[in-house]
Amino acid sequence: MKTIRTQILLCAGGSCISSGTDSVRSAFERELTSHGLADEVEVVSTGCMGMCEIGPIAIVYPEGIFYQKVKADDVAELVEEHLLKGRIVERLLYKRATTGELLETINSIDFFKLQKKIALRNCGNIDPEDVREYIAADGYEALGRVLTAMTPAQVVEEIKASGLRGRGGAGFPTGMKWQFTAAEKADCKYVVCNGDEGDPGAFMDRSILEGDPHSVIEAMAICGFAIGASQGYLYVRAEYPLAIKRLDHAIHQARDLGVLGKGIFGTGFDFDLEIRMGAGAFVCGEETALMASIEGRRGEPRPKPPFPAQKGLFGKPTVLNNVETFACIPYIILNGAVEFAKIGSEKSKGTKVFALAGDVVNCGLVEVPMGITLGSVVFDIGGGIRNNKRFKAVQIGGPSGGCIPAEHLNTPITYESLPELGAIMGSGGLIVMNEDTCMVDLARYFLDFIQEESCGKCTPCRVGTRIMLHLVTKICNGQGTMADLAKLEELAPQIAKTSLCGLGQTAPNPVLSTLRYFREEYLEHIQERRCRAGVCSALMWAPCTNACPASVNVPAYMTYVAKGRFEDALRIHLMANPFPSVCGRVCPQWCTKKCRRADLEGPLAVRLVKRFMAEQRQDYLDLYPAKDPANGHKVAVIGSGPAGLTAAYYLVLRGYEVTVFERQPEVGGMLRYAIPDYRLPRAYVDKEIDGLRQLGVAMRTGVEIGKDVTIPQLETQGFEAFFIASGCGKETKPKIEGIDLPGVYAGIDFLERAAKGENIPMGPDVLVIGGGDSAIDASRIARRCGARNVTIMYRRTRSEMPTNPIEIREAEIEGNKVEFLANISGIRSRDGRLEVSILRMRLGAFDKSGRRRPEVIRGPEETRLVDNVIVAIGQQSDADPIAQTTEGLVANGYGGIKADAKTGATDRPNVFAGGDLVIGAATVVEAIQAGQVGARAIDQFLCPNPARKYPWETLALPDIDPDLDAEVQEMEPLHEPLLNPAERLISVEVERTVSPAEAMREACRCLRCDYKE
Amino acid sequence: MNRTHPKAGAAALAVRRIVSKHGKARKNLLVILHDLQRNREDNSLWREDLEELARITGISISSIVGTATFYSMFSLKPRGRHIIRLCESPPCYIMGEENIREAIHDALGIDFGETTRDGAFTLEPTSCLGSCGVAPVMMVDDEIYGNLTREKAVRVLEGIRAAESRNAAAGA
Repeated sequence: MKTIRTQILLCAGGSCISSGTDSVRSAFERELTSHGLADEVEVVSTGCMGMCEIGPIAIVYPEGIFYQKVKADDVAELVEEHLLKGRIVERLLYKRATTGELLETINSIDFFKLQKKIALRNCGNIDPEDVREYIAADGYEALGRVLTAMTPAQVVEEIKASGLRGRGGAGFPTGMKWQFTAAEKADCKYVVCNGDEGDPGAFMDRSILEGDPHSVIEAMAICGFAIGASQGYLYVRAEYPLAIKRLDHAIHQARDLGVLGKGIFGTGFDFDLEIRMGAGAFVCGEETALMASIEGRRGEPRPKPPFPAQKGLFGKPTVLNNVETFACIPYIILNGAVEFAKIGSEKSKGTKVFALAGDVVNCGLVEVPMGITLGSVVFDIGGGIRNNKRFKAVQIGGPSGGCIPAEHLNTPITYESLPELGAIMGSGGLIVMNEDTCMVDLARYFLDFIQEESCGKCTPCRVGTRIMLHLVTKICNGQGTMADLAKLEELAPQIAKTSLCGLGQTAPNPVLSTLRYFREEYLEHIQERRCRAGVCSALMWAPCTNACPASVNVPAYMTYVAKGRFEDALRIHLMANPFPSVCGRVCPQWCTKKCRRADLEGPLAVRLVKRFMAEQRQDYLDLYPAKDPANGHKVAVIGSGPAGLTAAYYLVLRGYEVTVFERQPEVGGMLRYAIPDYRLPRAYVDKEIDGLRQLGVAMRTGVEIGKDVTIPQLETQGFEAFFIASGCGKETKPKIEGIDLPGVYAGIDFLERAAKGENIPMGPDVLVIGGGDSAIDASRIARRCGARNVTIMYRRTRSEMPTNPIEIREAEIEGNKVEFLANISGIRSRDGRLEVSILRMRLGAFDKSGRRRPEVIRGPEETRLVDNVIVAIGQQSDADPIAQTTEGLVANGYGGIKADAKTGATDRPNVFAGGDLVIGAATVVEAIQAGQVGARAIDQFLCPNPARKYPWETLALPDIDPDLDAEVQEMEPLHEPLLNPAERLISVEVERTVSPAEAMREACRCLRCDYKE
Repeated sequence: MNRTHPKAGAAALAVRRIVSKHGKARKNLLVILHDLQRNREDNSLWREDLEELARITGISISSIVGTATFYSMFSLKPRGRHIIRLCESPPCYIMGEENIREAIHDALGIDFGETTRDGAFTLEPTSCLGSCGVAPVMMVDDEIYGNLTREKAVRVLEGIRAAESRNAAAGA
């Protein structure tokens, strides 16, 4: 007799099959036979296990060891190592993304641990093609109990008590539906299962039909008994041939066994099932259209009432339920309605299966209790957004549903809560979207789908969806007007109210939903002709240029660099950004996040090429845009950081007499007094600022506006307009004990002192609090000042750190440690050192930006002794003196000045403001953008001309066309040439400039997205 | 294309066989149409088959054609021996379905709705195939192929063509 000691379960869901399960299975069978293990080890192909991303999956029982991405070539090793020698093959284990930890069993993986499986209870655990395995899992016992120990009315009551609601999308109480149909008097009734799962991104029903077909068969028989029907139909879409095959096989097995057919379980109850196939029509998911299709007619919906309960299939009373709804029935009968009703919320009982798709790390099928928060599904189970991009929204309910943005991630998923947000539960498709999704394009996409699937019977849907699609397409193509938007908003609710069936009634949802939460994107498309996600190509010069806050024409200068024409390249860059050397060292590169080359070997190393290009010239004077003749107007710029200097640059080019006022002894702002030398040597800052002096910008240092001289006083000196860009250079200090003790420094203050060459004594043990650029920079400077053990403490986790990941990596390479989920509550002097009280944190609910709020974990007191503490948790502005001495200017309460970030306008007509002062601590390139805005605002104020085009707006193709017939050759992307730690002690700067050959080769990788035929 | 079958009697017999397998009732129309379509090498519904169907069942030809044209999976135009259904639903779209469409166009010279000159393949768009975990996905005849890259898609199709010629050579 065979004694099976080990079972290997292979996921044979549709996705894993296409990833190669069949070849893995053959390999196992071969290897087991050749090792003589075929009588001890059984290989079972099961239905979908849920984690499609990492298939093919193999689980070895009884231990439950979980192997992922198993290939046929891996099997020999698995059999030898695991089955023969008992050694787990680590390289095939699942690795937790955030910590790198290897997890051995299926139940230790969050994705599975946090689920509660009812509808999917058997999927992935049994062989769907063997009815005996279903029976071993208590299959058909529910039907047996119903037929022998319950009356039809009792069955209906049980389903009602469970609170089960239709899982197909509408959520109608199932028990009630059965009750209405049971109450009808007719010579025959029908049970119909809706397996026409058409929602894009939904594959719950498919997995149940393929993985546990008997659960649906059993449920339909139970339903037949409850309502008085003896015939059922399973309508399955034709796009699911495997599901149809498995169902067919299961039905035959059920008949052979006697659980389908005449006199089931020896009672007088007859019930049989037929499969009906669809033929590619989304609308057939609607119940009346589905029944028309079963009847052999065009799948067109009809008005309701009469409802199927009264007049359904072939005119007879019919219960029509979704696959997932049916899958829950046997569980409810066996375990009781009370057990089922324990799970979920008051009005939404039980569990729901969701299909996670899109930009999420773990794509696949999950079943969770109702009431779980959206954020928990996306982040805890789904693992968050892939490639560390930012979460933007989740589409729930398919094309009939709506999108939900970050601010609602704490919403519990229930039938009641989702409609309040403008979405619907739908069938359970959850499409997760990141920052690269354009919400207007998304609305257009869903409308396109709905419009095509509209059956055409009623005018509001047939014509209305066509009009909506036309209007949204216009907006995506840059031809939309505010009148179009108004028309869209007028039409949408009308279509919803007057359409005949659910398809038309929910057709406007994508539009209404995206308009509700992302209206700014529509407005940007219409009024600014801009697509911030970088999707609508009609609105973009190129994805990189579109993403760059300063709109630098990247493809053009790349083209010139590739051909060795470095001066032409520089000329292009200087039209939009006068600081190529600076940005070539510190820019976080928005451009690379949208670079299309990322789909091949990786995005272009734009910053490295830019840095190289800038170093080809010591002097840019002949490369700057042409300067207009003097126009006799005098303008003052307050603050000589990149925002102020950029504004001065463009104004002097327009012929203005410009003076920049700076309160520090030298110009440069953050470039000189915050960003450390090893990232941005002062020589390069001086070089590019000198260029501006050569153009004619006057600079006066040691003058603080609001104290040494006021704006009204400058006006008497002939200055007609002002641009305030005094930045955000004051440290925000937390109100905790000991913040002013000696040895405790504020981040920005510390950086400024180091920049001024002050010798700051650092003890061996230093603690830096914060997670932004200042904290990281401070930590690396501390080491250069003599500290040996530097620890950065951040209250959230690595993936939430706002700084460039490269900066943290470099800090760690230099020897600094980072502690996450930690903070301090106080500092005290002790024995000549500093004792800090440490708080341990945990991530709680989501805030409006979609990040989790850190919460303090109450625990035993923890202290640590260090020599210095640097607190770099935030920065604020210091412009109150200016606001107080200038009539009409309004302070914003945080030390800044109230101004419109998009126009630079303040409450005083001739005063404009921008940069960190207005938007808070940001980056150099954003400050450059603010300078552009300020220059345009002042120029239009003093010499108005709405038609004037500014240098950064004149985007033109380079004079070299791309070779369209050339084949794209894959090339290794350029990496930062960073010095190793030993070299860094000798050299000041930690990164080298690349060579001409390297730069030119990298520039050749540019796909020339600017060139549109 | 000459669509008159040389043995017209055999064709009518095939229709009769299919109808008696499923039953004449109207409710069986869709499954009959699926079989009729599969029975023809060019994966389409031939007019003469539909006329024979009308004769046998008593359903008017206009009603049959009206039903057939409602559903996207039926075609009254000749198609290839193998239908490539490329999913263009959002999860597949986000994961690069357009790239695959381009790759197929470059390799086979066909776009949506078109058939290769040798009659081997027709490319059609389809809505969600329910394999979103391995997007982008295509279905060729009844087989699903996921995790598509440009190379994999072309490799799969060329493999099908090669298998076909091998079978033809073996049968000849």
